[in-house]
Amino acid sequence: MNWKHALSGIVAGVLLGAATTSALAEDVVIKVWSRADRSGPLRAGNLVAAGDTLNKMLAATGTDKRVKIELNETNAKGYDDDALDLLKAFAVDKGPDIFVLAHEWTGAFAEAGYAMNLEDHIAKNPEFYGDIIVPLWQAVSYKGARYGVPQDSEVRMYFLNNDKLRKLGKTDKEIASLPARVDAGEFTAYDLCDLAGQAVQKGVVKYGILHRPNAGPDFQMMMEGFGNVPYDKAEAKLQASKAALKDFFAWVKYCTDKKAFSAANTSMSWDAIEQASFAGEQALVFFHGVWRVTDQTKAWNLKGKDDYQRKVTWINAPAGKKGGKPSNLSHPIAYAVSAKSKNKDLAAYLVALASQPIPNMHHAVTTNHTPIHYGQQSMPEVVDKGWALVAATPMLKYASFMPNHPKIGQYNSIIFKGIQGVETGRLTAQAAADFVAEELGNELGKDVIIRN
Amino acid sequence: MPVFARAQLRRQRINFALFLGPALVLLFLFFVAPIVIDLFLAFTDMGRTLAVGKFTLENFERMFTRDTRLLGALGVTFIFVLATLGIFNVTFALLLALVTTAVPPRLGAFFRAVWLLPRMSPSVVYALLWLWVADPNERGLLNQIVMHVFDMPPIDLRNNHPLLVIILANGFIGASLGMLIFTSAIRSIPEHLFHAARVDGAGSLAIVRYITLPALRWPISYMTIHQTLSLLVSFEYILLITGGGPFYDTTVFSLYAYRRAFESGEYAYGAALSLILVVIGVLAALALWRLMDMKQLLQQPRIEVH
Repeated sequence: MNWKHALSGIVAGVLLGAATTSALAEDVVIKVWSRADRSGPLRAGNLVAAGDTLNKMLAATGTDKRVKIELNETNAKGYDDDALDLLKAFAVDKGPDIFVLAHEWTGAFAEAGYAMNLEDHIAKNPEFYGDIIVPLWQAVSYKGARYGVPQDSEVRMYFLNNDKLRKLGKTDKEIASLPARVDAGEFTAYDLCDLAGQAVQKGVVKYGILHRPNAGPDFQMMMEGFGNVPYDKAEAKLQASKAALKDFFAWVKYCTDKKAFSAANTSMSWDAIEQASFAGEQALVFFHGVWRVTDQTKAWNLKGKDDYQRKVTWINAPAGKKGGKPSNLSHPIAYAVSAKSKNKDLAAYLVALASQPIPNMHHAVTTNHTPIHYGQQSMPEVVDKGWALVAATPMLKYASFMPNHPKIGQYNSIIFKGIQGVETGRLTAQAAADFVAEELGNELGKDVIIRN
Repeated sequence: MPVFARAQLRRQRINFALFLGPALVLLFLFFVAPIVIDLFLAFTDMGRTLAVGKFTLENFERMFTRDTRLLGALGVTFIFVLATLGIFNVTFALLLALVTTAVPPRLGAFFRAVWLLPRMSPSVVYALLWLWVADPNERGLLNQIVMHVFDMPPIDLRNNHPLLVIILANGFIGASLGMLIFTSAIRSIPEHLFHAARVDGAGSLAIVRYITLPALRWPISYMTIHQTLSLLVSFEYILLITGGGPFYDTTVFSLYAYRRAFESGEYAYGAALSLILVVIGVLAALALWRLMDMKQLLQQPRIEVH
């Protein structure tokens, strides 16, 4: 090819490019930021679908204007890391128009001026938001205003492998009575570790209890059973109680000594934990949330509710002492609209469309997350495919949310370090309690109150 | 100034810009600029939103009065650098160079190539291999050997001896650089010295002691300084293999600064910690420079041997 051909090729390319750009001039680009999450691809997917819905309406009006959703699916290893990345993106003016976040980060984004106050939008559009389950709004509220729309909800629990319990000599009747005994405060967190430890020592399983390998919300519900309340509503500050921390870590130490907790847990990958808990059947107890029913059903090839319940028992986090109350945690994921967006109103309407009962139901039943509308409970598909959600809903009676404080992510990481320290034999219970109290004070400063 | 001289001066300037310019730009962008930015950040309160609210000494106050993890991180760094350097990057590298130059050249080249393999593979792949080697389950390479060859229970190296794992992982990869440099230094020793020693009745060990090692003095000194500095700031394999854990057991100072900055979002505090690392690096370099008498290396030779 000679240079003339090459040149004419480049000119043609540029002209074509210019032509395409002018054809797209009517497009309104809406950037969406969402963490790529195997347990909820439709969080972002429903926003993309909302764009299609809106485009159909626009086409019907005869205008050329279209909405183009540019999806950025990030690969952060958890919602905390993702939120830090997103804060950085906003700081250098590369923020999206809509973002998906774990609800407890609402405060951080609202405080930094990146999340839009949605009160006005919600008030003006009751036809879109009127049926959302009221307590869920609490999860996206910060200083009295709503800065997000709940995208889903969930219930967390300990999953007990019934086959392994039977191998341990438990009768079906004993197994069936466990959830009620936990709720009544008869079966305590110590009893759970005795049971799990026994299973390991008798060689029934390799791991007694497997929990998440990184910092995250789960441990809050473990700790509540020992009286640690992480938030002081009156002062709007995080808090920790030295006595509760000591009781909690004494329990972690007890469980570690009994071999119910494994020293390897915190250095395992999620994949290794899933393999050991599901297909590998190496764990008696797995601690996470209701959406895991999807993985378990697949791993064990279970057919429907009865089959599942023959295999798995759910319990709330038991109380630390006999007669205490069990605890649970719901950790909604939410949509937020950027306060910096040039198309705030449009972005908010896309969120509204993505949050409608039908698209939200698709997310709920395919990933086993509890739906956000009251009305969704009676949808045939939810009743049919979402039996786990209906079955888990009573457990929400004991549920609390994580505090909506900008520094809760750091709070959780410090707690996790303490747990890791005890499980791997680096810290005694007292040393872990001291470590956590000290680090919380150091790292969070005025944002935390350490009580005795 | 005559026209000729002016033209020559101009050419010199152009040559300077042409030949040293790119290197200077790189030096400025990747060495000077980061230190200046770090210095600036260390005295601010930059947090997760990257906003600078005020200039403050709080980071240093926190570091010296309240940070209880700091001393531990320094201790781990000291052991890590000393052991990796002492056992692998210098001693083992020297041993490899001596052995691979003593055996027939083809065999020597083959072994050197083998030792270079980890350096050629991407860090993540290398780290994954180590994760597999040290896996606490029976699937781990080490445990397969321990269980099947020695008939012992599986061991959990990453939990029980995490420092050993990161020293081995860094050492196996770090030894190759020293090996290459020492090999080329041994190769440059005039052949006749070895022959003369043989004629005088020297054995292999005596040759190493009286001919090879004295000729390697400068390469060894250089490697020691270079590797000390590079180990002080390297944490990629540690982050990938142990993540600094369990607990804080393998959190070296550089990783500690990284975590404070990027995992807790305390960028200013991370910058202040890095600044301390810069100071430690400079002090270590100066001390070693003095100790090894590097000045002498850079002096003009008194006699030129041809």
